[in-house]
Amino acid sequence: MSLPRHLFTPAFRHQHLGGSFAAIVGIMVFIATFATAAEAILLTASYLWGQTAEDRLTIEIPAVGDEATMSQAERVKQVTSLLRAMPGIENVEALSNKDVERLLSPWFSKPELLRALPLPTLIDVERSSDPNLTAEKIQAALRNVVSDARVNDHGTWVQDAWRLVQGLTVLGGLTIFLTALTLIISVSLICRAVIAAERETISLLHLMGTENIDIANHFQTQATRIASRASIIGFLVALVITSVLFLSTRQLSDLSALGWGHWLGVGIVSLLVPFGATVLAMVTAKISVMRLIRTFP
Amino acid sequence: MLLSFENVSLTYPPKHNILDDITFSLDEGGFYFLTGTSGAGKSSLLRLIYQAERPTKGRVALFGEPLTNNGHEKQAELRRKIGIVFQDFRLIPHLTAWENAALPLRLTDAGDDYIERHTKELLEWVGIGDRMDAKPEELSGGEQQRVAIARAVVTRPRLILADEPTGNVDEHTALKLFHLFVELNKLGTAVILATHQRHVVDKFHKPALRLAKGKLQKVES
Repeated sequence: MSLPRHLFTPAFRHQHLGGSFAAIVGIMVFIATFATAAEAILLTASYLWGQTAEDRLTIEIPAVGDEATMSQAERVKQVTSLLRAMPGIENVEALSNKDVERLLSPWFSKPELLRALPLPTLIDVERSSDPNLTAEKIQAALRNVVSDARVNDHGTWVQDAWRLVQGLTVLGGLTIFLTALTLIISVSLICRAVIAAERETISLLHLMGTENIDIANHFQTQATRIASRASIIGFLVALVITSVLFLSTRQLSDLSALGWGHWLGVGIVSLLVPFGATVLAMVTAKISVMRLIRTFP
Repeated sequence: MLLSFENVSLTYPPKHNILDDITFSLDEGGFYFLTGTSGAGKSSLLRLIYQAERPTKGRVALFGEPLTNNGHEKQAELRRKIGIVFQDFRLIPHLTAWENAALPLRLTDAGDDYIERHTKELLEWVGIGDRMDAKPEELSGGEQQRVAIARAVVTRPRLILADEPTGNVDEHTALKLFHLFVELNKLGTAVILATHQRHVVDKFHKPALRLAKGKLQKVES
C-alpha cells in the first residue's frame, strides 16, 4: 500500500504547521544536544580530574624574608626529604617559581605585580591509596621541621566537586527529560492540528476502506521526514555552538585531560539525541494520529 | 443477496425520524434507482449502507453480512467492496485527476505498473483521458464527476453507491453520466443511484425504490 507521498503536504503547510513542527523538533534537539554534550564532557572531565587529584596533596611553604634563620631553599629541602622518607608517599615534586607564577598569572593583570609578591613554594605530593596516610598525619610530621607548612588535601575538594558534578548531572538529565516531554506534547498538538486540517481527506480514505494504521503510517513517514531534517539541523547548530563555547572558555576550563577517545565518546552520546528525537517524534506522531482518527467517520 | 434492510429506522435525537421501518432487499448485479424529493432520506439510507451511520432499529446486511457492530477492520474490509460517488465529488484538491482516481487502488496490493495502466484506461473510458494531469479546480463539474466515478470503480467493486451524482451538472452531462453508470452495471457491478430527477429515471426503465418522508413508498420495477 502506498498512498501519494504528498497526501498530507497541504495540511503541513496549513498555517505553517510543518514549519512549526520542524522548528520545535530542531530547537528541542539543540537544547538536548547541548545539555547532553555538556553533561558528558563534565562527567568525563570530572572523573579524570578526580582520578588524578584524589590521591594528591599540595604542601604550601610560605615565603620567608632574608632575616629568617633558615632560607626558603633549606625549608623546602627539609620538607621534601621528610616526605620522601615517609612510607606511602609515592612522588614528591617541588614546583619551580616559574610554575607557581604560571598558575597564578590568570588572576593578575600585570606580571610585575606577581613578581613583587612573596610567592610560597608549592610541593606536589602523590600518595598511595592507604587510608591511614591522612593529610592531618602529614601535617603533624611536617610541624617538626617547618612549623608553618600547610597541607592541602585535594581529596576534600575533589569530593565536593564530585557532589557538585552529580547535582549538575541530575539537572542536565532533568533538562533532557523536560525537553523530551515538551517535544512529545508539542508534536502531539501539531499532529492533531494537521490531521484536523485533513479531516475531509481522512474521512474519504475511511470511506474507501483505508485502515487507521495505514493512514497513521503514511502520516508518520511524512512527519519523520520533517523531524529527521530538523533534528540534523538542531544537532549541527548545537555542535557548532558547543565547540565555540568550549574553545572560547578553554582558559578557564582545562579539558586537556580529555583525549580523542573521550571526545569520540562525547560525540557518540550526543549523536543519540537527534536519533532519539526523531524516533520520539515518529512514535508521538503515530500515536496522536491513531487516537484522533479513530473518532473520524 | 446484495443488500437487505429489515425494519430499519434511523432517528436523530430527540425524536427526528429520518428513516422509518424500511424493509427491502436487492439482488447482486442489479441497477437500482433510489428516488424521492430532497430530504426524503435517500442520503441517509446510503449512509447506512456504507456505514457512516448505524440504524437506530432494525438490521442491515450487505453481501450477506450484517453491518451492525462491525469493528473498524471489518468495516474497512466491507467498504473496500463498495465504490461511492458523491454529489459534491469529494476529490482531493491538491491531487491530479489521475492521482485521485488511482487512490483506492493504492490501498490494495496492486503493483505500480498495473495502477498506472488501469487508471489511465479507466480515465480514458470515462472520457477524460486528455485531462489526467489536471487538478480538480481545473476541471468542469462534469469532468470532476467523471474522475469521481473512475475513482469509485477503479478497484472493480461489487457495488457502486451514487448519491445525487448529477446534482451539480447540467442535464446533458447528467444523461451522459447516467449512461456511464448503466455501462458499468453491464460489466457486472451492482449500482444504487440516488436521485431526485424523476424525469431522468423514467428514461432508463430500471427498478426504483421511492422514499417519502423517511418511509419506503414503493418498489417499482
